[in-house]
Amino acid sequence: MSAFVELAGLEKRYEAVRALDGVDLRVAAGEVLGLVGHNGAGKSTLINVLAGTVVPDAGRIEVAGEDLARGYDVTTATDRGIRCVFQELSLCPNLTVAENTRIVHRQIKGRGWQARARALIIGTLDAIFPGHGIRPDRRIGDLSIGRRQMVEIARAFTETETPVRLVILDEPTSSLDSTAAEQLLAYVRRRQADGVATILISHLLGEILGAADRVVVMRDGKVVADRAAAGLSRDDLVGLMGHVADQPGEGQGRRRLDAEPVLDGPGPGGRHRLELRRGEVVGLAGLAGHGQTAALLDVYDRPRDFAAVGKLAFVAGDRQSDGVFPLWSIKDNIAVRSFSALRRNGLLDEAAVTGLALDWQKRIGIRTPDVRNPILSLSGGNQQKVLFARALASDAAIILMDDPMRGVDVGTKSEVYALIRQEATAGRSFLWYTTELDELVHCDRVYVFREGEIVAHLAHDEITERAVLQASFRSDAEAVA
Amino acid sequence: MMTSKTLLAALGAVLFSTTAMAEIATGDTSGMRIALSNNFAGNSWRQAMLKSWDEVSSQAVADGIVAEAPAFTTAENQATEQAAQIQNLILQGFDAIVLNAASPTALNGAVKEACDAGVVVVSFDGIVTEPCAWRIVIDFAGMGSAQLDYLAEKMPDGGNVLEIRGLAGVFVDDEIHSGIVEGVETHPQFEIVGSVHGDWTQTVAQREVSGILPTLPEVDAVVTQGGDGYGAAQAFRAAGRDIPLIIMGNRHDELTWWQEQRDATGYETMSLSIAPASAQVGFWVAQQILAGREVPHDLLLPTLVIHQDELDYWLGQTEEGGVTNAFYTLEWTDQMIEAVAAGESVPPTPTAE
Amino acid sequence: MTIDWRELVRASLPALALTALLVAIFWLQPRAMSYQGLNLLLNLSIPIVFATLAQMFVLTVGDLDLGIGGFVTFVACVTVTWLADAPLIGVLILVAAIAGYAAVGALIELRNLPAIVVTLGMSFVWFGLAVIVLPSPGGRTPEWLIAAVRLRPPGIPLAILAAIVIGLLGHLLLMRTSMGVVLRGAGGNPRAITRAGWSMLRIRMTLYALAGLMGVLAGLTLAGITTSADANLALRYTLLSIAGAILGGSQFTGGRVSPIGAVLGALVMTLAASFLAFLRLNPDWQIGVQGAILILVLALRALLDRVAGER
Repeated sequence: MSAFVELAGLEKRYEAVRALDGVDLRVAAGEVLGLVGHNGAGKSTLINVLAGTVVPDAGRIEVAGEDLARGYDVTTATDRGIRCVFQELSLCPNLTVAENTRIVHRQIKGRGWQARARALIIGTLDAIFPGHGIRPDRRIGDLSIGRRQMVEIARAFTETETPVRLVILDEPTSSLDSTAAEQLLAYVRRRQADGVATILISHLLGEILGAADRVVVMRDGKVVADRAAAGLSRDDLVGLMGHVADQPGEGQGRRRLDAEPVLDGPGPGGRHRLELRRGEVVGLAGLAGHGQTAALLDVYDRPRDFAAVGKLAFVAGDRQSDGVFPLWSIKDNIAVRSFSALRRNGLLDEAAVTGLALDWQKRIGIRTPDVRNPILSLSGGNQQKVLFARALASDAAIILMDDPMRGVDVGTKSEVYALIRQEATAGRSFLWYTTELDELVHCDRVYVFREGEIVAHLAHDEITERAVLQASFRSDAEAVA
Repeated sequence: MMTSKTLLAALGAVLFSTTAMAEIATGDTSGMRIALSNNFAGNSWRQAMLKSWDEVSSQAVADGIVAEAPAFTTAENQATEQAAQIQNLILQGFDAIVLNAASPTALNGAVKEACDAGVVVVSFDGIVTEPCAWRIVIDFAGMGSAQLDYLAEKMPDGGNVLEIRGLAGVFVDDEIHSGIVEGVETHPQFEIVGSVHGDWTQTVAQREVSGILPTLPEVDAVVTQGGDGYGAAQAFRAAGRDIPLIIMGNRHDELTWWQEQRDATGYETMSLSIAPASAQVGFWVAQQILAGREVPHDLLLPTLVIHQDELDYWLGQTEEGGVTNAFYTLEWTDQMIEAVAAGESVPPTPTAE
Repeated sequence: MTIDWRELVRASLPALALTALLVAIFWLQPRAMSYQGLNLLLNLSIPIVFATLAQMFVLTVGDLDLGIGGFVTFVACVTVTWLADAPLIGVLILVAAIAGYAAVGALIELRNLPAIVVTLGMSFVWFGLAVIVLPSPGGRTPEWLIAAVRLRPPGIPLAILAAIVIGLLGHLLLMRTSMGVVLRGAGGNPRAITRAGWSMLRIRMTLYALAGLMGVLAGLTLAGITTSADANLALRYTLLSIAGAILGGSQFTGGRVSPIGAVLGALVMTLAASFLAFLRLNPDWQIGVQGAILILVLALRALLDRVAGER
């Protein structure tokens, strides 16, 4: 089979992170390709490049034998029949189903365009999800999340002048019930006969193995395996996603199961309790967006439900949107959590604020000539250190961390890991959501999340990449159940 | 001293005893309604104006001259808002609108609508240029030249004059200034040796005059625009200079200072400004037009001039912190209309005597 | 087929408010219930309707235009000076002004600036330009423009005819054409629009240019009605247009707009002032009561949403 899409040597960097590190990928016409990998493996960046929404730093993009790397964009992609269903929905909530269809088709215009848009989307919805019950004039915002996903999937398969040649489906079944999911996979297989290729990304390995002809596994921005699906098992895939030399976390010998609990409450899903003991570092793992942040916020907002002992502090992951105060100085950003303790006669004691900031600047190694400089004068990694300092400088006994090391350079990371260990020894407790498997070795215990629930609890000597991956990706048996 | 109320009572008596006068139109206006459309009420002059309107209109309603004469003021001093107000007044069926306009031109559309609907529009103070409306024009240029005329009378040999102007860029300032320039041309023995902008405000005038004084030769007289004479006097005193002849502007503090100086040293000057009661002239002109009289479209209102011998009377008519006001009667308005129609000079501001 | 009652009531809220006001005005002032009466009552609404639509186009992409009052004033000042004395140059200035509006949209998109700040800054620019063009009140609107706004179409006053035509054209353009869908979508989910290959830059520029065009039409009709201008002529249109658009069902969140609603909202804002004048309410209270009417309608809408949410 000749390749419909051929990508070679794709590279993309975001600051310290190599999102794509020389990726080659071929997709043949009519092929269903499964794409799997853990967080940060580069799947997302790869499909964005293919959809034309991210420009790679280097590499070759060939579609139907045509070299398109220069100036490859959304229009180039759609004109050649490449469509993408992104994980976060790309529908306009204020528009109707038919109007959203028009958005992706420049050809639907002029007299009677609305009738054509309605007919087109309803026809495709009928073909994929018979009995969907969606009216074309409903506003997207008024539809349930599952129906929105149906509309978005169907929209990707609608055809006007250019026939659909390749559809990228990123977690397409996350909001579909099992019937609709079955309908979709059946449709994908039917369209293979017309030469429509599909790239399928899913955390449901059963889905991948059931639907795909071939599976590509990514890790750390590279393609690490490219195999025919036939003969592959779920265990094989999990093994491929992890590092080759897999071993239990570097034993620090810290067993704190005898310490008194500082948090104890029902975990999301109810299968496991969420527990944290004094001096413990507990990881929240699993694929990104499977309920870890929600669980942290739950604890932070309702500490009493978790019988919290001591105060809590939150270290945000998204620095720009809910971390730093961009107009403030470094010292105020450090001290803000402790302002109420730094008062004298009801007013803020500037000397104490500066003292606190200088102390933490030294302890955590914030690289700045003057803590009175604006926070935005710092690099991303140093800003993140400020957020750590803010939490650690406070009187909080429990530190909640929302994937704080995203996009931080290696040097900063190792400094912060050391600090966390040191603070834990001193008696503080950490609940740490991380999307990076490597970071789990710093944890005493790990809860693995999937679809908003805690699905596995790994004790210290059970923490392996393989175990985390096993729990993160649903198995065949569970998918059917 | 006579109050406004007693003046008004006198007016009532006059009205019924002089119906024989041919010029005053006697058509029945008792069922008619006149509205005051006013764009702004935020200073003492405007407050005095509204009070004067209220006095004349409530009395006229009591006397059965008109059915109703309410005042309407817009909140934001903007032309579009006042245009809407005028259109609403048309809809409410007023027979005449007396108008103090936010803009000389931007209300012309609404004024034309009113004329087309048969509504009489009389503008005063803030006048409009639409030809179908009547205008009671205040002679600002005359206010400037009259000051030089007075100086020429007092000092036939002439001298050095300091000019205090108003707020830069405002129409009134330009008009008064042009009158002063004209006066200097008529009386070339005077020379304007300096000019400052006093913004019609005592404190600004004092500061500006103090600033320019060291650069000036001896000043024999100061011409002003009102609201600035007292500040000028303070500036001269602070500089240790002889106080020249300063023309006053009818403010209470100015007249009080003049009275003190007169009693102490026999100081002589004059004072002039516009009386807020010009609204009353607007009322009577509208009433006369409604009563069937032919009235020229462009009328003239003299400035209220206070001479040395009238000072005590007018100071008595002036509220503390306010501006000297007058009381315009139907008779006075009649004389004014006659004079304008005949091309003669208008009668002076009426006094109770 | 089920009818969405909430949507129906919500959409008819501005129309209901307008009807209620008209009934109250006719009751207070029966002579308003005539051709001439309606004309007087509504003719100043034409420029407000245009200004409100301008605001609505900017709201479409989730921005807020604090410069429209200054812009309308500037256009009116150009109309009574350049357009009257040198029509060709006048037209060129107005076209350049629309291009200027598009450029503001481009600036906001490219530099990712808050529109509210940029347009607030622009309001001073427009005001300054208005003062430069027309330093003191005056000027003369071209006769053809005065004649145009004084047209007396048989049977239906110009203001009402204009409101209907403008509302329908706006509805067709924004709600019914395939281009309008993309423009509204940009307010709802800009990322989805970008992913579908549309340029947010061009969309924002288009919407701002449309706003500029509406602003020019507002300035022209306003100058036609007043026959001359001054540099403070329409400064209050900024808040009137926001109030009118929001009253008409548009939302600050972007993408949720209604041209017909905006036209009705502008009429409600115009009539509310007249209604209060007919009540002979002290002018110091009028602004406050106008604000209270606005809050009342918005509260009613919020209540509808709440009731629907509990269902």
